[in-house]
Amino acid sequence: MPLFPFFLRYFRRKKNEDTLHFKNIKRIDTLKVITSPAIIFVLLLFVWMLTVYFYNALPAFIREGLEVYFRNTWQAAEEASKEYYGLAAPIWGTIYTSIIAILIALPISIADSVFVVDYAPKKVKNFFIIISDMMAGLPTIIYGIWGAFVLVPFLQKYVMMPLYKHLSFIPIFSSPPITGYSYFSAGILLGIMVTPFASAIIREAYQMVPFTYREATLSLGLTRYEATKILLGYIKPAIFSGAILAFGRAVGETVAVSLVIGNTFNLSIGLFAPGYTISSLIANQFGNAFIYKHMLPALYAGGLALFIIGLIVNVVGLYLLKRWQKNVEI
Amino acid sequence: MSRYKTRKGKEVVFLVAMAILTFVGILPLFHIIVTVFTEGLPVIAERGFTFLTGTLSNGGIGPAIAGTFILMFLSSLIGLPVALLVGIYAYEYPNSLIGRWTKTLLQIMLEFPTILVGVFVMNIVAIPMGTYSGFAGAFALAVILMPYVAVYTQEAMRQIPFTYREASFGLGLSRIKIISRILVPLSKRGILTGVLIGMAKVAGETAPLLFTVGGLYQSYPTSITKPIGAIPLLIYTLIQSPSNADHAMAWGASLVLLLIFLLIFIPVRASLKEVRL
Repeated sequence: MPLFPFFLRYFRRKKNEDTLHFKNIKRIDTLKVITSPAIIFVLLLFVWMLTVYFYNALPAFIREGLEVYFRNTWQAAEEASKEYYGLAAPIWGTIYTSIIAILIALPISIADSVFVVDYAPKKVKNFFIIISDMMAGLPTIIYGIWGAFVLVPFLQKYVMMPLYKHLSFIPIFSSPPITGYSYFSAGILLGIMVTPFASAIIREAYQMVPFTYREATLSLGLTRYEATKILLGYIKPAIFSGAILAFGRAVGETVAVSLVIGNTFNLSIGLFAPGYTISSLIANQFGNAFIYKHMLPALYAGGLALFIIGLIVNVVGLYLLKRWQKNVEI
Repeated sequence: MSRYKTRKGKEVVFLVAMAILTFVGILPLFHIIVTVFTEGLPVIAERGFTFLTGTLSNGGIGPAIAGTFILMFLSSLIGLPVALLVGIYAYEYPNSLIGRWTKTLLQIMLEFPTILVGVFVMNIVAIPMGTYSGFAGAFALAVILMPYVAVYTQEAMRQIPFTYREASFGLGLSRIKIISRILVPLSKRGILTGVLIGMAKVAGETAPLLFTVGGLYQSYPTSITKPIGAIPLLIYTLIQSPSNADHAMAWGASLVLLLIFLLIFIPVRASLKEVRL
């Protein structure tokens, strides 16, 4: 019987091993046991969320196909067969307002970062950082009430009206600013709101520029403009990811935008026309969507689009930022 | 010589443009704070104490204030334990696959559209329960609070010099003892900062409450399984009403909300060099 001695040897060797090494070298990690449920919960929550959106949006995809994202009709009707929902206008509004926001936030946050890092004395520097943090944390509804009651009337009177009067032959200025609630107002307000986020990323990156580079620019006898231009070139990837992450914030902003954008289904390039964004559409229509037969899935489809845009934008932005930080550290 | 002049000229233009842009960048905050005070203070002064304690029909926002504090407390109760455990995990196993996933996920959740959390929680809590409730709102807010606290916990623990860890391992302590007896106590200030920042965020959130709490402004909340109010949500509702009296109420409520925010934010800021929200 050759098998039997083999088994015996196997067990014996195992026994020897046990006596040779520390017995509990591979013991159970209690910390992992305690923390794992929380991790599993969070990961599951995220997957669950994606599932909920996908599952609830499915009827819209089955009924309308991908056209739900590309058609610009929003027809709520008592008769279920006449209902048709297309999200082209809100998607356009979301992207349009967010791009305006980035165009405003980027120059301001770059200027702010350069000023804070290069020129401000220490006390002023701290003051600016506090201001920036405060703007980032301020409840969005306060931006909303200020935007609706202060910013919109101001912009309508002093910015939109003159531009429309004198430059209405340019297509983007061609729609009349009747109420002031428009893509433009929403874009400006979003720009103000996302500036601190872009600022924080760009400032941090600008601070990380190795000191030898600063010395080198000074030793060449460059003016401050030329030196800053070169140093900003060094952090270009960080600026780019700052812009992407700020774009992500702008896309997801809800209440402040819904108070200033005018909430109208509109697909227009005119800056002063009222519009919709996906998040303001959900905020506005979700409450009464239960009355209609097919509206809810369409709104979930909008939510899914927002989910996926948010996911992609954030992953790309974070990835680029991390890659750049690694390059600098080495 | 003229080449030098154009270079110098460019520099001047650049500096001026930068100063203007920086100034424009911080201007809105001051304007917002000043406007909220000038519009809100008369409303509160006129109604006096009733504004803070009365119900909506009496011209007060008492139930909303109570609701906001209840929601803050409940969401911390739900969110904090999970957040601390997740933060500890992300610190302790940063290079494992799940550890890396968790860190990325936390960053994504920080930036995530909050309205999506609101609709999701409505779907999994409010609809099965058949009613809007304080619990649903607190759950949605807990999902928002969690990443802030977790990220701050992880960062605070990472700041502790590695020698402490080595020394603890040298003493033969187990991982769990090192975390609970050495690292958490050492980083408690950073963790507390994260908790406060999360709560400041939660106090001001509107979107996740839209479809979860329902709103209750004519009487004080009695149960967490029934609808409840919150200051941001009340402001949002009041702004959309056409009446000027409601707008005045909204400004007053905004001032209260701003003060709550500052009350949390200023001590945090005073104890810390830089806050990321």
